[in-house]
Amino acid sequence: MRRAAGILVAVAVLVSALPVLGYLKLGSRASTGTVNLKWDDFPIRYFVTNRGVPGVTAQQLQAAVVRAFNTWNGVDTAQTSSQFAGFTQAPPFDDDDMTVLGFLDRPELDRVLGATTFLIDVRTGEIVESDIFFNATFPWSTSSAGQAGSFDLESIALHEIGHLHGLGHSALGETEMRTGGRRVLGAEAVMFPIAFAAGNVADRTLKADDLAGISDIYPTAAFQRDTGSISGRVTKNGTGVLGAHVVAFNPRTGKLVGGFTLSPDGSFVIAGLDPGPHVLRAEPLDDGDLESFFDATFSVDLNFSAKFHDKLAIVPRGGGTRDIEIKVSPK
Amino acid sequence: MIGRHAWRLAASVVLSLAVASPAAGQVLIRKRVREVPRTGAWEVSAGAVWLAGFDLEDRTAALTRNSTTDTSPFEQFTTTSRLAAATGVQGRLAYYVTRSVAIEAGARYAKPTLAVRITGDAEQAADVTAEEKVSHYVFDGSVVVHLPQLSFASGRAVPFFALGAGYVRELHEGDELVETGTEYHGGAGLKVLSAPGARRSGLRVDVGISSREGGLDLPDRRSTQTFAAVSLLYLF
Ligand SMILES: [Zn+2]
Repeated sequence: MRRAAGILVAVAVLVSALPVLGYLKLGSRASTGTVNLKWDDFPIRYFVTNRGVPGVTAQQLQAAVVRAFNTWNGVDTAQTSSQFAGFTQAPPFDDDDMTVLGFLDRPELDRVLGATTFLIDVRTGEIVESDIFFNATFPWSTSSAGQAGSFDLESIALHEIGHLHGLGHSALGETEMRTGGRRVLGAEAVMFPIAFAAGNVADRTLKADDLAGISDIYPTAAFQRDTGSISGRVTKNGTGVLGAHVVAFNPRTGKLVGGFTLSPDGSFVIAGLDPGPHVLRAEPLDDGDLESFFDATFSVDLNFSAKFHDKLAIVPRGGGTRDIEIKVSPK
Repeated sequence: MIGRHAWRLAASVVLSLAVASPAAGQVLIRKRVREVPRTGAWEVSAGAVWLAGFDLEDRTAALTRNSTTDTSPFEQFTTTSRLAAATGVQGRLAYYVTRSVAIEAGARYAKPTLAVRITGDAEQAADVTAEEKVSHYVFDGSVVVHLPQLSFASGRAVPFFALGAGYVRELHEGDELVETGTEYHGGAGLKVLSAPGARRSGLRVDVGISSREGGLDLPDRRSTQTFAAVSLLYLF
């Protein structure tokens, strides 16, 4: 789901965002535990609703959606593919065994630019259908340079298609509270839950965190061989911190990849990192609404100050560095 | 031409000093000729090496700013990285292809600290210097040219210069990640030998500069590192 700005309700319908790994891979509860959402069959065949809105024709919508799919499919370290199957009269969000992307009038969702739903096999997590809607209530544009006052359809499509592939939200962004809601100061992941302002086209380009996330779900052999992971815990007074945002920063390349502590013992894993030393930073998840990241059963600890780990974490090639403990203090 | 002239001048100064030394003049010159190791001689040396530190890449953890007009990044924090100076050990084996030119294989080991200073956090996280200990190895080859014309102390102290290239191997802390690179080096020094004889011991001092690429640095970045070494040598 992508928000225009501000606080909002409702997450994707069928999915509880209960993740098991960094960035966030979308997860769903099954009787056997949590399963990660992913496609097993490629190419992903998708339809586009034959409906335009002011400023964007159905053909322009389709072209923007194709570009966004191609951007994900073009990630060197991930194996995904997609195929435009044709226009359809069917709207998104019908349970019709078709993956459909299109505009819907949802004026009541006055902060939601778009959202993604899934039909999954709850035993395996296999995604069998996924629909994306773009809220026709907002002004949209597909102008190559962006258009002031209109949201860039390709950028929002890229975010929602990230969800469609099984990615949850990234917390790699800084926001400030303003009257009317939360405003993004900066973000370094297309999968950050709050969109850039209307007219901005920066989110047509995937960032290191997005690349690590998609590659972690659909890795190439080279990705598994050439990248590594960092795992450890975030603790406060000796006990685990749940829901902390942990960022790995590569001081050689400047790449930022984020993850979360996802269990009561405060453990985290960040995968898809280039080999080499990394700086680790833990911060409370205070730059988005918690339900953008986790379901309501998650009791996220926000009472600690941002902290850098005092050792470099060395990422090996094709392996992981373990047992890192980032000790944070209450605010 | 200037270089060659200077060389001749230096040589003639040494000779004339030797000749000016009364009585022993002729003998001393013959002696000095014997001081130079014979062709086919071997020399081993081992000792301590000091490696200067050098700066690595500085980086900013940058977020894409939410603006269509201000394209500067939103800076979350900044890192300044440096490999600290370190003292290590080195060993060398040289073979004299002529009386004054030797080819030499060497190895050195040191354990410098890689320090990354993290400052300017946008959410006021305290500044930190995050560190690791790096195991630094260099395996190199050099051509060593001795300058007997410039020798002194009755010919027992012989200046030399050396040029060579090496393979850099750096293991990050935990020994799970190895990064390799190359280096070129040039240096100069002095060997002070014990009394004449076919088998002799001595002291070797060198200083130099190494231009390195790769290893724990970015693959396409070249860094310069000065070094100084003191070794005991044995000639046979
Ligand atoms: Zn979203």
